[in-house]
Amino acid sequence: MPQRLLDRQIRLLEHLTSRACIFGAARGVSNDPTLLGLDLGLLHLEARFSHEKRMQKIEWVLTRTLELLGNKRAVVTQEFIDACPPAGISWLENARQFHGFLKTRWRSQAPEPPYLPDVAAYELAYATVRAGEMQAPIRCDDVALPGAIRRYPGAVLLRCAYDIRPILEGNDGAPERRMNLAVTMQPGTDVPQVSELSCDLLEILEMLDAFVDPAMFQDMPEVEELIQNLAASGLIEVHR
Amino acid sequence: MALSNPAIGIGYRRHIDEWTRANLARFDVLEITLDHCLTGNDAARAAIFDLVGQIPLTAHGIGLSIGTDVPVDLAYVDEIAAIVDRIQAPAYSEHLAFTRVPGRDLGNLLPVPRTQQVAESIIAKVRQVQSRISVPFLLENITYIFDWPDSELSDAELLSLICAETGAGILLDVENLYLNASNHGFDPYAFLDDLPTHVVKEVHVAGGVTLHEEFLPRPLLQDTHSHPVPDAALDLLDYALKRQAPAAIVLERDDRLDAFDEILDDVARLRARFARPIETSYAATAVGSPD
Repeated sequence: MPQRLLDRQIRLLEHLTSRACIFGAARGVSNDPTLLGLDLGLLHLEARFSHEKRMQKIEWVLTRTLELLGNKRAVVTQEFIDACPPAGISWLENARQFHGFLKTRWRSQAPEPPYLPDVAAYELAYATVRAGEMQAPIRCDDVALPGAIRRYPGAVLLRCAYDIRPILEGNDGAPERRMNLAVTMQPGTDVPQVSELSCDLLEILEMLDAFVDPAMFQDMPEVEELIQNLAASGLIEVHR
Repeated sequence: MALSNPAIGIGYRRHIDEWTRANLARFDVLEITLDHCLTGNDAARAAIFDLVGQIPLTAHGIGLSIGTDVPVDLAYVDEIAAIVDRIQAPAYSEHLAFTRVPGRDLGNLLPVPRTQQVAESIIAKVRQVQSRISVPFLLENITYIFDWPDSELSDAELLSLICAETGAGILLDVENLYLNASNHGFDPYAFLDDLPTHVVKEVHVAGGVTLHEEFLPRPLLQDTHSHPVPDAALDLLDYALKRQAPAAIVLERDDRLDAFDEILDDVARLRARFARPIETSYAATAVGSPD
């Protein structure tokens, strides 16, 4: 009985995204009933090219992260192939998938070097902001009054356990020091800005998921100037 | 610069936006990859929409996966349709291929089995796309590394059948034809002979690399969009133009994008071989006009 085309296509993509096909040395003709007659050597090439293209997308975003994996990169990549079939074509989607895989892996195996999670989170945040993606939770609040403020949905806040600035500048090592970073896009630009935040400011920004009346901060010194500066930095949005 | 017939240009790439704008007068047309409007940030979208009115734009897609044996993603098509209208493109082209199945997206163009049954399925989907897009729909021939053993139609027969049934045009990728003919051992001139006259509405050209693998009987030509267009591909285009009158020839470049001299050299080679100055606008000679 002829097989449905979709079943053949599903099986083909399972095969092309498998570690065995990407790295394998099988040659000749497939005797898998669903892939019967397909040339295994050519499927290997197709799989390899597709995998290389996917990893280029990931590397575009997580450049330093992949470098820091060092000699474990090959093993990690192979585990990634097994755990996460490609689910989209965008470089950000693939990088997010790889980052998610790393985070899961770090639950059972300590990251090495230990500041790797901070570097990976930063690189993904930078790419996300650059792509203009809005961060959840975004609560649309049409009833907000003019002048109400909320955290800019495109800003990403990071709590780092290490000072990763030397790493990002191409140097080795990151001293252990808690620091908070904000990655934002200033209005009218398309290059993300990175700034360090105090703990107080980070906590305030984390609370500002929805528009609030700035009067609730009236006890803070120079609050109007602060709001102006945060808006100019792309950290908060003022409702018009 | 006076427009030429066919219009000659390049695929717009965000990474060389500044250079492209500085050299806009060298091109008659830019091809926009519509999916970049869907996934790009506000600045990327704004940069593309800013080109409207400065130079004719034509529309190309990479995310339809019309060959996947599932219903067409109509929401995606509607998003594409809106961008096609916004950039005032005279046509919308996509690949005769599949890239994904539910839950898995290879991100690479794969061939479909060239059978009557598959052709009928794609014909129905082409009609659906045409019903939601305001401009002519073109199908592009892809390059493929492997082929399905149960394919019973030739590449040209499958394309011709779909186009005859639907009225769709062809975006002839000359590089893909050149590569497939070399990699799979068929006559590319016979492919061109088998296409109906005047079905080719746009053309892609590009240059790739040669890959040597010990298990392959011959070197594999790979479609990397990274190097100058081979003369052999331009010879094929020369032959194709005896029976076809495409509105645009677009140079695709996705790698080594900073090799600006090579890009301009390729455009100059295309202009020298294929351009004929005309007074009418690109839109007036566009793909939808009667032959």
